Amino acid sequence: MSSVTPSITLPARCDRAAAEALLPEMIAALGSGPLRIDARECQHIGQAMLQLLVSARQTGEGAVIEPSQTLRDVAQLTGLGEELFSGIHA
Amino acid sequence: MTAEEIQAIFFAECEESLEAAEQGLAACRDGTQDSDTVNAVFRAVHSIKGGAGAFGYIALQGFTHTFETLLSDVRDGTVPITEPLIDLMLGGLDTLSDHVTAARDSGEPPEDAALQAEMTAAMAANAGAAPAAPVAAAPPPPAPAPEPEKAEVADSSGDDFDFDFDLDALLDDISDDMAPAAVAPEARWQVRVRPHAAAMRNGSEPLLMLREMSELGGVCELCDISSIPPLDGFDVGTGYLGWAFSFPASVGEDAVRDIFDFVGDDCSLAFGAQADMPQVQYPEPPVPIAPVATAPIAVPVAAPVAAMVQSPASAVPAPVEAPLAPDPELARTGSAPPAPPAPGQSIRIELGKLDKLIDAVGELVIAQAMMAQRLADQGLAVAEDMTMIEGLTRDIQESAMAIRAQPIGSVFSRVPRILRELASSTGKHVKLEVSGETTELDKTVIERLGEPLTHLIRNAVDHGIEQADERIAAGKPAEGTLTLSAEHRSGRILIRIGDDGKGIDRERVFAKAVEKGLISPDTVMSKEEIDLLIFAPGFSTAQTVTNVSGRGVGMDVVRQNVKDLGGRITIDSEPGKGTTFTLTLPLTLAISDGMVVNVGDQTLVVPLANVVESLRPEPNEVQGLGASRCMINVRGRFIPVIPLSQSVGAAGACTDPRDGVLIVVETEGAGRAALLVDAICDQRQVVIKSLDTHYRSVEGVAGATILGDGRVALIVDVDSLVSRSLASAGGNSPLAEAA
Repeated sequence: MSSVTPSITLPARCDRAAAEALLPEMIAALGSGPLRIDARECQHIGQAMLQLLVSARQTGEGAVIEPSQTLRDVAQLTGLGEELFSGIHA
Repeated sequence: MTAEEIQAIFFAECEESLEAAEQGLAACRDGTQDSDTVNAVFRAVHSIKGGAGAFGYIALQGFTHTFETLLSDVRDGTVPITEPLIDLMLGGLDTLSDHVTAARDSGEPPEDAALQAEMTAAMAANAGAAPAAPVAAAPPPPAPAPEPEKAEVADSSGDDFDFDFDLDALLDDISDDMAPAAVAPEARWQVRVRPHAAAMRNGSEPLLMLREMSELGGVCELCDISSIPPLDGFDVGTGYLGWAFSFPASVGEDAVRDIFDFVGDDCSLAFGAQADMPQVQYPEPPVPIAPVATAPIAVPVAAPVAAMVQSPASAVPAPVEAPLAPDPELARTGSAPPAPPAPGQSIRIELGKLDKLIDAVGELVIAQAMMAQRLADQGLAVAEDMTMIEGLTRDIQESAMAIRAQPIGSVFSRVPRILRELASSTGKHVKLEVSGETTELDKTVIERLGEPLTHLIRNAVDHGIEQADERIAAGKPAEGTLTLSAEHRSGRILIRIGDDGKGIDRERVFAKAVEKGLISPDTVMSKEEIDLLIFAPGFSTAQTVTNVSGRGVGMDVVRQNVKDLGGRITIDSEPGKGTTFTLTLPLTLAISDGMVVNVGDQTLVVPLANVVESLRPEPNEVQGLGASRCMINVRGRFIPVIPLSQSVGAAGACTDPRDGVLIVVETEGAGRAALLVDAICDQRQVVIKSLDTHYRSVEGVAGATILGDGRVALIVDVDSLVSRSLASAGGNSPLAEAA
């Protein structure tokens, strides 16, 4: 385990292009402990990023997501609230 | 695909939707008020709303929402279709069209508050006036509690907007708070939604549909994440999610289907609590990522299983596990359920690509002609092969041109709106009769046809058709008739715009022309020549300048536009009976039929459109006029002879009409003239190359083409050449500098 938890910050606009850009970063961070994903700035989110977050949660040691209100709302809308923010990983 | 490209598609679809809605409403007005027709209008407006929301055009979305709500009431039969309602909806359509234009051009959205209020009033009035209506219609068995409140709000406030918003708030209430308490769980029904794996690549954002479902009162019961691979097998462009949503019984299945109209066949839906989650549909060939490729029939989610969300850690290997055996029933319900529309019968192509193809085909035609000529020069007898290549080249050319061809209906469909606007500004109600709207012609021609057509229609209504009382006094029906027709005739297209108005008042036109100094009072003119005066720059007989017409720019511009398109315009007018304008246009601007002629050492092309006949004059038919001009007597009519060599500055050309060939041409501005050339070599299709883009604009030259032997030949602009030559008798040589 590395001493520094790998951390990734999501941009305000989490569209497909953003997901495209972040996927390699997430893969690179695999194997060094749970990923910390800072989504507090996220103002817009599409399906691509949403499912990428789910995948990140499911891969390796999982991920801890710090959501913005927007992300919480979208998670609620899509029925993924539990999946993305449930206590096991938080 | 970039966001701009997707937006471009959206706006193209908006145009189609607006057209469909226009047609639907027109059918309604003509008495076809069945559910299919109303539904078509509803869908059109709805799909614009969907896109507007997706791209964040708030004003457009807001307006379509109101419009759609009204249409929804109409569709459900809660608002009866009446004449005023159709007018209101047509007005709505016009404003919607303005909204779309504003959104596309990033302009200011039109002022629509009053119209929205009127639309809302149309729904509210009904709700207030007929409290029994929901019971009578009663499609939703458990009429939900908010019904009486709705009436109450409408009565008490009288403010239509409040009413509208309250309704939304009520909907939210239903989905959030009241749902568990007031609506029993069994009153809800379920739908399973599975956007296809490639949906996002096609530019759709499934979450927007989810939001719409939520706005309708839908609640997400379940999200199927079982297809999501771990990060190292993750493909950003692939959609892995599927959802189960539940709706209150008051929401119809159709309302949910409508949400997905906009995405077409990019999404599978399965209705009913027992339905299985539709399987992920991958594009063919399947996405070449191992875990994804193994899961095309993956992990169907049984209805009540919320399990996939409960233990993410254990779910990790699920997608990569061996696929389940394909259950025939699943396969049926999975891919079949709402029978996605048949794969598209058409594709959208970027215009630039098409133009490149047309260009290349043009070059091919030239290259083929060059090769044929070279082989012929060598005396090689390969006639058969050459004929085959020539035939094929022509086929390719025709097919390529056909791709650009569009039905003229797209221009005609704007006319009803123009007439509506004219009706409100002039008080003249005009019936429209259209024929030949499926006639096809080149897209470029279509695009540039809109403006002259609009001018002609405004002119016909403003100047041609009389006021109702005047018409009745003249024994005509109070409502005027405008006839629009299009037809193909010998490689050109004929468009007629006719009215049954009072016809051209030739005396007044003549007097006005004298007054403006366009002609002298003692000019002798034929009826047709007087009619043509209305195309003179600055000419207008309108007593007052209205915002419709009267500034005297319209008809001049019309003629210029038509001329720029390589076409001609003629007038046929009968006092008291009406006027018909006939536009003769080429089917395309890229290729034209031309007569290849020799003038001294030059080869020129005379557009066939201008050519009336060609002849070798008898000695006694040509008569000298002054020092350098002569006229020819063609069946009793004298027309001026213009030696083309003079204009071109060609060396060694014949100057005596008796030695050469005369080509009689028809022009807009200067009537007929006879062009003197040495010989006519050929008559063929020529690929037009713009001189403006390759050199610069030269008066008297319409363009250039490349001949079979590789030489460049100028295409003569007959109109300007003749008027110029006649104006400066024996004048200078406009063509010489370019030649």
